[in-house]
Amino acid sequence: MDKISEWMDGELSGHQTREQLTRVKQDAELHHCWNLFHLIGDVMRGETALSRDFEQRVAARLASEPAVLAPRTRVSTRFATYALSAAASVSAVALVAWIAFFMNPLAPQPDLAQAPTTPPPAAAPSEQLASVPSDGKMNEYLIAHQEFSPSTEIQGLAPYIRGVSSSHQVEGR
Amino acid sequence: MKTAWPIILLGLVAPALAAEDAARQDGLAWLTKMANASRRLNYSGTFVYQHADRIETSRIVHFVNPAGGEFEKLETLDGPAREVIRTNDQVTCYLPDAKTVLIEKRSARRFPALLPEQMSGVADNYAVSVTGMDRVAGYDCQVVVLEPKDKLRYGHQFCAETRSGLPLRARTLSEKNQPLESFAFTELKIGGSFSRDQVRSRYAAKSRDWKVDHSALVLSDVPADTGWTLTRQPAGFRKLTELKRSIAGRAVMVSHIVYSDGVAAVSVFIEPLPKNRPAQSLSHQGAVNIYVRPVADHMVTVLGETPAATVMQIANSLEFRGGRGK
Repeated sequence: MDKISEWMDGELSGHQTREQLTRVKQDAELHHCWNLFHLIGDVMRGETALSRDFEQRVAARLASEPAVLAPRTRVSTRFATYALSAAASVSAVALVAWIAFFMNPLAPQPDLAQAPTTPPPAAAPSEQLASVPSDGKMNEYLIAHQEFSPSTEIQGLAPYIRGVSSSHQVEGR
Repeated sequence: MKTAWPIILLGLVAPALAAEDAARQDGLAWLTKMANASRRLNYSGTFVYQHADRIETSRIVHFVNPAGGEFEKLETLDGPAREVIRTNDQVTCYLPDAKTVLIEKRSARRFPALLPEQMSGVADNYAVSVTGMDRVAGYDCQVVVLEPKDKLRYGHQFCAETRSGLPLRARTLSEKNQPLESFAFTELKIGGSFSRDQVRSRYAAKSRDWKVDHSALVLSDVPADTGWTLTRQPAGFRKLTELKRSIAGRAVMVSHIVYSDGVAAVSVFIEPLPKNRPAQSLSHQGAVNIYVRPVADHMVTVLGETPAATVMQIANSLEFRGGRGK
């Protein structure tokens, strides 16, 4: 999966790219993953056109559909984590983020034991460092941060929305 | 005739400048109005939060009693049931599936209202304009746009209910003016009289034998000189606060410095390097970018609702200048 994001970021060589292409063609889960990554990318960049009443229509649809609690695949777990932590992210009243922090079973203790044991090259900051979706390990910091962000004041309600973001999957569009 | 030209030009330019200034003042006034409205009004409604490929719906009720006390109830409508009750500074979260109640006592909010100096920061760093009308959840609303003056910050777009100023929709926009995340009411009632029952948990009685967890209690924060400074502070950002604090899951106190441009904030966390030296890494959550890098024998974590470059600039120009803190 990591290779896929590298691929998308254009970091693989021609040979590696062909190798990944073969893998994605053969592995349904990887293929799904590839599609999902692109969908997310598109939406993040706003390339998927959302009409003006989009929010209303989705809300209406959500209201009319029972919540589906499907068993998570590896892929969906990853995205559930991502989305939840995204919820915990933003500039907001700490309380809500704090809740999201608690909601996120994958977030909790800073799992430093899993950090790579090989020392990284000394802090040579590269502007090319690819940004990955946060894995939820930063939630404690996000919570601490939000309390201080002035945008909390302006946005009023927004913080809450971010913080109570749920962990269930919205069925792929 | 010659001398007339400058006067004519001035006559053309001056009204334009004045209009621009008026638009900015108008925009700033709307921001203040929004901030006040969401804290002082009674309202209840349903809203949708959209980020990346996800849409989530929640319900909120907000009441202010005659004495000025704030009561708030928030419940999720999708996925696992969750309920948050805020009564002034106490926050209680009910998790029915885990039969758990989480309680947190918060310190008073640090920004009771938008401060004047904060407002000047907003005007310095963003072109503030009131661009037109829209309609959200059946209410007419005023569109207020904060367009960043440089690439160090994101843009914002709000739609504030015309009469009360309550924000009905908020969007954070990327460098390419594309939405990173947004929220919007789909149904809303503004006003109504205070009702304690509406801000009480539906689990209040049921939860008596649930597990109560206080572990997220925020420990006291101590303002402190951490000894760390920036050699290259990003334009428009000022230091907001500097303190030593506890962080969930950390045994030691962590230095925390916050920089802000009036709208966005960037936090710097400095702590002793963990046993396994972390690699530098860049990640994001919604509109927040997070950068981690080791600096000497410290681990530095910088995050904020700004573009990655801003977060990285702060992280990369951090320097220990000595002092009481370490």
